[in-house]
Amino acid sequence: MATEPIGLADAPTADPAASPGSDVVIETRNLSKIYRDFWGRRKVAALKSLDIEVRKGEIFGLLGPNGSGKSTTIKLILGLLFPTSGRVLVFDQDATETRKNERIGYLPEESYLYKFLTTDETLDFYGRLFDLSGAERKRRVDELVKLVGLEGARHRQLREYSKGMTRRVGLAQALINDPDLILLDEPTTGLDPLGTRDMKDLILSLRDQGKTILLCSHQLSDVQDVCDRVAILHQGELKELGRVSELLKVQDVTEVHARGLSDAAKAEISEVILRHGGTVDSIDNPTATMEELFLSIVRESERRPGARRVSVSDTASESPTAVATATGDDAASRDEGQS
Amino acid sequence: MTLQPEDFWSFGEWLLRPESFLESALLQGIVLVVLAVLLGLIIAYLVSAVRHGPGEGFYAVARSVRDLVRSDLPGTSSRRIFALAKLAYQEALRRRVLVVVGLFVVGLLFAGWYLDPRSSDPARLYISFVLTATNYLILLLALFISTFSLPADIKNRTIYTIVTKPVRATEIVLGRMLGFVAVGTLMLVPMGIASYFFVTRGLRHDHEVVEIDEVGDGRFEGKLSFDQFHDHSFTIEPSADPDGPELGLTDTVRGHRHVVRQIRGDDGNVERYVIGEPYGALRARVPVYGSLVFTDRAGNLTDEGIDVGNEKARGGYGAAGIARLVGVTREAQRLDYGYVEGGTLGSAIYTFNGVTPRRFTDEEGIPMEMALRAFRTIKGDIVSGLNGSITLRNPDKPQIESNPLTFVVQEYDVSEERLPREIEGTDGEVTRKLSLFDDLVTDDGRLEVIIRCIDRQQYLGMTTSAVYLRPAESSFAWNLTKSYLSIWLQMVMVIAFGVMFSTFLSGPVAMVATFACVLLGFTAEQIYDIRYYMDRGESMGGGPVESLVRLLRQDSMTTELDVDQVAGKVIQGVDAVIIYSLDAVATSLPNLPRMLSTAEYAASGFDIFGALLARHAVATFGYVLLAFLIGYFFLKTREIAA
Ligand SMILES: Nc1ncnc2c1ncn2[C@@H]1O[C@H](COP(=O)(O)OP(=O)(O)OP(=O)(O)O)[C@@H](O)[C@H]1O
Ligand SMILES: [Mg+2]
Repeated sequence: MATEPIGLADAPTADPAASPGSDVVIETRNLSKIYRDFWGRRKVAALKSLDIEVRKGEIFGLLGPNGSGKSTTIKLILGLLFPTSGRVLVFDQDATETRKNERIGYLPEESYLYKFLTTDETLDFYGRLFDLSGAERKRRVDELVKLVGLEGARHRQLREYSKGMTRRVGLAQALINDPDLILLDEPTTGLDPLGTRDMKDLILSLRDQGKTILLCSHQLSDVQDVCDRVAILHQGELKELGRVSELLKVQDVTEVHARGLSDAAKAEISEVILRHGGTVDSIDNPTATMEELFLSIVRESERRPGARRVSVSDTASESPTAVATATGDDAASRDEGQS
Repeated sequence: MTLQPEDFWSFGEWLLRPESFLESALLQGIVLVVLAVLLGLIIAYLVSAVRHGPGEGFYAVARSVRDLVRSDLPGTSSRRIFALAKLAYQEALRRRVLVVVGLFVVGLLFAGWYLDPRSSDPARLYISFVLTATNYLILLLALFISTFSLPADIKNRTIYTIVTKPVRATEIVLGRMLGFVAVGTLMLVPMGIASYFFVTRGLRHDHEVVEIDEVGDGRFEGKLSFDQFHDHSFTIEPSADPDGPELGLTDTVRGHRHVVRQIRGDDGNVERYVIGEPYGALRARVPVYGSLVFTDRAGNLTDEGIDVGNEKARGGYGAAGIARLVGVTREAQRLDYGYVEGGTLGSAIYTFNGVTPRRFTDEEGIPMEMALRAFRTIKGDIVSGLNGSITLRNPDKPQIESNPLTFVVQEYDVSEERLPREIEGTDGEVTRKLSLFDDLVTDDGRLEVIIRCIDRQQYLGMTTSAVYLRPAESSFAWNLTKSYLSIWLQMVMVIAFGVMFSTFLSGPVAMVATFACVLLGFTAEQIYDIRYYMDRGESMGGGPVESLVRLLRQDSMTTELDVDQVAGKVIQGVDAVIIYSLDAVATSLPNLPRMLSTAEYAASGFDIFGALLARHAVATFGYVLLAFLIGYFFLKTREIAA
């Protein structure tokens, strides 16, 4: 590999050798996978003629219910499975090519790690597999342990870890080589909302560093929050593919957010809408999501440790954060940051 | 211990067999690797052709071969191998395999109770006990640790995080093998050290002086107490140095002797005796064997001595290899004792190489040991042994010949002789004192030793390994180390096979497969035997099917099989197929009993030949290479997540 792995905090990776002239990082052509049993009899057609392209620098989401073939797709991309028909190209190389792995980071569905190693040992081990020098490994291990927030537990064996902690180690090992392409199989399972938020922020910041990310999830909010484009799978078939902003846009509904309106003002607005031939579906105070509430509580408690006074009349709208009226998550978090 | 003809092969001879290349180990190795690779490719092609169609199948197989040469071998990194080896090592240690070492050491503490204390050769008993115990234990452990690891990784999917890194299949296979070899070594070393102390301590014992007589001239004769089921008698010679201690030596009983030291008090009277520790039991004799030809009773040279019947002991098929498999040499390697008739011109002529003063430094002459057999055609005096003679001769100038040294043949025992540095002899017509190294040994260090039987109508039996010079004694500790090296090599072999099978079989199945290979390796000689009798048309009860039929019908092994003609043909046909395939498989598997037999050297007190160890090492390396290639291939073409 020509690329020197660079720190996470570094500027976007510019790798001149990588896929010259083309922006496509992953390309599947007519990709199908049929699982067979020992005798070669077909059991499950897990993937049927999938055609997707993942471009450099985007966050691509694979969405679908359980058993729809998301993990199968990722395993095919990694060469863990061989296609029944069709092809996968990663960095213009065949998916079974070992050398492509130097630029790939993979977080499996569950963290399949060696339970008898500590975090430090685990990361050092995977660093060795990338042929990183001793000094380089030490630097990256320190960086990653901090990044995934496991400083306090780095010398404990993984089998003592909670599910979320194992997941964080899994993420750290996926990033040990400062990959250009990151494959995340359900990155947020097992993480608490704070971890989920961190994960999402991390994914976005990785994208900002110029990395390409393919993630799969059935947590719609995850996908909605971070993905640039999504493919929706169902029973192994591609059902929908496009930009998230476009897919989710409801063309004939208009949303207005405002603060400090009196009931009279609301009535007047309804009138204006009706006069222009529209219909008013609802005029309401928005409720915050559970995620937002949880986040605000955790952040509050980090600022002011101690038990929080809970009153029966406490409702979402009265809590300090619930004042926020913006609908988008981004707006909500910005808002909280200021308060 | 009698050595087989092939034990005398030098390393080069074994590798190449210049006269009969078909027996060459190199050829066998090459054929094996080529066959395995071809077979592997064909099977892989068939499998992937069924899966993906003939064209794609070919492409897939071709790609994995191309990858091996073009990217996987060159891309193999020592850092990755080391990381994977370390992981395998840690994982195995976590399974508490070291407990076995502890159990072994504890077991040794008690094992002494069960070893026959009355044995006439306790050293042999102790040594062969520890060596065989360690050998089987280590092989069993190697079997366990090597076969379960990779399948477990695949099953609980930790392998996913490995193969999605730039890790080559070569590195996974090699890393596993190295890691397990490290674990095995870690176990073998303490076991070896414990064995050493077990043997040396186990043989240690003490006696007391129970009887002592002064026989005059300052000589003493005495007896030692009966301890550890034996006693000794001893003599003390007056020492040359009047102030020095009087030293005596006991006779050799059960392979050892003691030094007896007479301590005198200030008044000059004998105060007490100090009995030294047993010595001589733990030896590592370094024999120098010669080449042997015979002369018949008229004095003409022949290759073989007289066959007195039933003296051609079966010596195994050894490394006959491909030659035996394709039926060029059918016969088992045979170990011949040729006999020389007494009172005739018949003789056995040994020619030794490398007889130089630098090598044989002993001032009293060259030590020579003989383990001869006797065959009597008349009774004579059965108590006294046969008489033989040793004559030394210069191979280049046969007119220079020593006078015969006579000796009494000790049957069933090894007798020690010395070839003196100065000896009376004839140089053509002249009779004079001959110098061993100047007159009898040629400039390039060759010497002929001619052995004859003196008693008429009696015969002396000899074979190459029956007479040898002993330039030096190697240390017992080093010899034991060499035995352990041999065990280590076997362990490496088993680990390599275990890892190979675990790349495509589940843990228990891989273990059974490896075990079957080891077992077939151990029974190889029997399989060769069955095939040998089958080829010769000698009915020994037939092959497996025929034996089963006989068993069910309760037929004797020696009668003709009593079924109708067609059935008989079918049975024998099936048997032939089974035997020939088993034969082929057994020939291609490592011959572990050969390696196990190095224990016999150590137990018999012979230095293990370097050439023998080198042969085992090279064979091991060859099999490791083979296992590595097969393992790589299977892992590479395996769909990890399926
Ligand atoms: N190793 C396997 N052998 C046989 N069938 C399998 C195997 N792995 C997956 N499948 C089947 O393939 C289909 C797709 O599985 P896949 O794991 O890709 O789903 P998924 O979209 O990742 O689901 P989830 O959201 O539950 O993770 C399922 O019907 C599953 O039963
Ligand atoms: Mg899945």
